[in-house]
Amino acid sequence: MSNYKVTLRVFALISLILSSFTVFARGVYQTDQNFLAEAFNNSVPKSKVVWVKGELAKTITELLGHNYAGLRIRYWRNDQRSVWILEEIGKEKPITFGVVIADNKITTMKVLAFRESRGGEIRHPAFTLQFQHAQLDNMQLDRHIDGVSGATLSVRAMTVVARLALYLDKFTG
Amino acid sequence: MNRRMRSLHRSMGALVAVFVLMLATTGILLNHTSDLDLDKRFLTSDWLLDHYGISNVEADAVYLLDRHTISQFGSQVFVDATPVTQSEVPILGGIIIDDLMVLATEGALLLFTPEGEFIERMGGSVGIPSMIQNIGLFHGDPVVQTRNGMWRSDFMLDQWKQLSLDGVGWSEPQAMPSSVQDELATFFRGKGITIERVILDIHNGRILGKYGVWFADLLGAFLVLISLTGLWLWGRRRL
Repeated sequence: MSNYKVTLRVFALISLILSSFTVFARGVYQTDQNFLAEAFNNSVPKSKVVWVKGELAKTITELLGHNYAGLRIRYWRNDQRSVWILEEIGKEKPITFGVVIADNKITTMKVLAFRESRGGEIRHPAFTLQFQHAQLDNMQLDRHIDGVSGATLSVRAMTVVARLALYLDKFTG
Repeated sequence: MNRRMRSLHRSMGALVAVFVLMLATTGILLNHTSDLDLDKRFLTSDWLLDHYGISNVEADAVYLLDRHTISQFGSQVFVDATPVTQSEVPILGGIIIDDLMVLATEGALLLFTPEGEFIERMGGSVGIPSMIQNIGLFHGDPVVQTRNGMWRSDFMLDQWKQLSLDGVGWSEPQAMPSSVQDELATFFRGKGITIERVILDIHNGRILGKYGVWFADLLGAFLVLISLTGLWLWGRRRL
């Protein structure tokens, strides 16, 4: 087989592998219902809403760096914890995050749905565990979150959502 | 030799005169782009916009609710000509209940104020039935048809009961009103191509694509040649 053909085949194989990773990065990893059932041990309380208006709207805009895309945010709370399912744009498409908060600290942070073609690495526990026990300190997370190469905007979206969920938990608590 | 050169000079002169006029006119306009606001005015001609590859925009779905036109272009949802939210899945219908506009997708309901502001997306986590196929009204109450049957709720949209009903007014897709179509065309295409860009493309020939550039090169070569023949004739007369 000529060198040209071998090079072409290797290139095609690498392209196939890379495109497979791209496809696998997208998807719904956990449904909202499953996440809620898991967070509340199958006893999901009735949802509540907080209206995004007045000072809260201003603070949320400062936290996100843009206006919140909606007039109300739905959440679930029992005596021990609150759960927030929030969306934030990574690069072009919204990423759905699930956040569980107890005692003003994040206990669980998950990527429930990822729609971008790149940056899906943020769903891995190796990354999300950085948010465990994180809390707000002067509107910032009390710790540094290590980035992921090639997923800067997804990491930013997740960090912003963590701060937003912690703030909303305090606001509604 | 002198006569042949004069004949060549005249023929080329007539040939390039029209294009010299065009070059001069477009050149003067380009010199005064800011004064004439050519960089702030945009193309509206369908023919020219099509020429630039910005074709007519067609909505994937259109629903008329109250006095608003709801449309979807890809994942972008519009109320009239304003982008309001995104939906990765198709909008299947819409209804008005009390003070809410409610759009249905396969797995969620999208809520809007009567003014068209996006309120929130209600999905399976708050009890919205899955696999929705259409949404309608039955005596003022919201009803959704799903693959698993028909479900009815009230204005709160958080409690759904499965039942079978006759006489539901189902939402149906409609044609885009021409006034909204024009506004959306302005949204998508209105700020696409400036007048300055068109004049510049006429000036350098790019308006005709790569052949236009070659044509402009040929015209440039003619201008060089006509200058040389003119100089030669001028020089000969002085001798």
